[in-house]
Amino acid sequence: MRLMSGLFSSLFCFSLVFLCTTPSPAVADNVCFTCHDKTLFTDKIVHQPVAESQCSVCHNPHVAKYKGLLRDHNGTLCYSCHKKSKEEFGKGIVHAPVAQGNCSGCHSPHASSNKGLVSNDLANKCFACHTDLPQEYKQIHKPFADGNCIACHRSHQADNLQLLSDKPDTLCYSCHAADTLQASHKDYPLALKDCLSCHNPHGSDRQGLMRNFLHQPYVEGCASCHQGSNKVSMATCLKCHENTGKELLANHSHITLQEGNSCLNCHSPHAGDDKALLKNKERQVCNSCHAETLARYRQKAFPHPPVKKCSICHDSHGSKNLAMLKGDGNAICVQCHETQGKFTHPVGPEVLESHTGQMVTCVSCHNPMGTDHKDHLLQEGKRALCILCHRTY
Amino acid sequence: MMTKRTFWILQTVLVFILVLGYHNERAEAASPWLWDRVLKQDMVKDAMQMPTALYIDVDKELYYVVDSGRNRLLSFNRKGELLNIFNAGKALNIPFDMVKTEEAGIWIIEKGNNSLSYIALKEKKVTPNTLTYKGELVYPERIETHAGLLYVLNKATGNIISYSKKLEPVNRFSCSACPWGFVDFKIYQEKIWALDQANRTIRCFNLTGELIKTFELGDTINFPVSLAIEGTGFMYVLDRQSRDIAVYDRNGTFKYRFLEQGIARGQLSFPSEIRFDPWGGLCLVDEGNARVEIFKR
Repeated sequence: MRLMSGLFSSLFCFSLVFLCTTPSPAVADNVCFTCHDKTLFTDKIVHQPVAESQCSVCHNPHVAKYKGLLRDHNGTLCYSCHKKSKEEFGKGIVHAPVAQGNCSGCHSPHASSNKGLVSNDLANKCFACHTDLPQEYKQIHKPFADGNCIACHRSHQADNLQLLSDKPDTLCYSCHAADTLQASHKDYPLALKDCLSCHNPHGSDRQGLMRNFLHQPYVEGCASCHQGSNKVSMATCLKCHENTGKELLANHSHITLQEGNSCLNCHSPHAGDDKALLKNKERQVCNSCHAETLARYRQKAFPHPPVKKCSICHDSHGSKNLAMLKGDGNAICVQCHETQGKFTHPVGPEVLESHTGQMVTCVSCHNPMGTDHKDHLLQEGKRALCILCHRTY
Repeated sequence: MMTKRTFWILQTVLVFILVLGYHNERAEAASPWLWDRVLKQDMVKDAMQMPTALYIDVDKELYYVVDSGRNRLLSFNRKGELLNIFNAGKALNIPFDMVKTEEAGIWIIEKGNNSLSYIALKEKKVTPNTLTYKGELVYPERIETHAGLLYVLNKATGNIISYSKKLEPVNRFSCSACPWGFVDFKIYQEKIWALDQANRTIRCFNLTGELIKTFELGDTINFPVSLAIEGTGFMYVLDRQSRDIAVYDRNGTFKYRFLEQGIARGQLSFPSEIRFDPWGGLCLVDEGNARVEIFKR
């Protein structure tokens, strides 16, 4: 009997909590809009709960943990209704705001002039995050000038790098007729492909959106590198770039590509946006092969804050250090973390790890790419980490 | 009405179901491999530095570890005791992989010289060799030997090329469906088993270069760098980024994974090669932890 009464008490309490936290459609129109200007919640497209005056579907009118009295974290709240989207948006390469559940980064949750409640100032919202994209060019691609980013990019997820909605060449040909393009490349001996290796799809200072920096042999003429229809080998590149050839002779290098030229994995042989003639922004070039690794670290609770270039820490040609670092695990970190270079747990060649006999460095305790522990520590920092070496601690 | 007895029976059943569920989950992760011993140099300030490969001399029952960071080779007996440290008169420049041949010589890949060098042990002489294939420079990455031939993985193309002892090319192992080539290979039962990192597949060739079979590893692996084939035909794939080993049966079906990141015994930092010894040991070369660990069932 006592058991039964206990069960009923628990059930009653649970029901009470449930009723108190569940949205009550009754709290509606008149009440909220007595203070909140209803005209601010109207536009061409209105979010269904707003249209039905069910503010309490998303907001708790009394108290909440989240800004704007939201009932839950932005993404969690949206996916509570948009269940199919959650599954769909998790596939392939996922846009950072989507991965973070920051739906309102791009969408207006109440009303908008645009389909899908996309924010009215979407282009500005794109540039608010993509600050490294120049907005002004002498020659500018029309979709970019129009702020029509979604002409080429998908906003949630994509199967192509940089969230392109299709393969880059396919996208180009979807607007530019093949015969017109062939006619404008009269001297090009092969079928046109890999447009982005020469052209910047956003803009450039040169005619035809040709990327700003030209490879000197390209300026001098095709025959500088090309002989007939033979592929240009890595050896041809290294004839001029001797130092790079030496950098490749290391424990670990980026030599890799069957039947081809490893240099062309990252560099354009004709034109680029900087002197290095990289095919894209450096992070994007690295991401084209290391996407999964980077994504995995981004999902950690404590990822390293974004850095502009991977090459701040890593040597992109070849390295004698682990993880292709430019130096040992101390030299790299103190480039930015100057204080830790002067005051820290003993590190350096005179201090050796007890397990491995290797020099103690920053990376003995931290994974600079990110971990699930504060300060990118390999383990919880109070005890678990220390006892890896200090066993009697 | 629920009696006290019924309540306890129901509770016991619930706990049993929960425990059973937990153990089923654990069973998927279960591994029969146990840490057995380690090959390393314990002398202070003379530990190995970024060891990259292991060679096993079956006849002499020796392990050879290639210490790329300190430009030397270390030999160990079956018990794991260090026998000898050899640097060929300081002639080696970033040694990366090696094989011994019946002529009492060592073929060693020297990355610093981009050379497949030959060390004549009796003459104490190191001869560097630059390899080419059809006029193109070869960048040796991994080496195996079988039936009098040297099999070299060319990092520049990802292809495997077999050479005679005079370093004349004999055959090439590649596939049109794997444009990024291979990152490691082993020879087992007269076949070449090659690991295609980009496509996450294992390709099996016969010794004439014909592709016989492909095993898709799919999402069970992240950054595979090395493979080994067990006597049972099970395939073991080493994942450098996940710091573990994924095991597949003869059909390529994923069975289980084991090991984890760390510096303690049985943990991995930057693992580089996996290999079975003929005495039932699973040997793991760990660059980051500067050691070779051997596991046994």
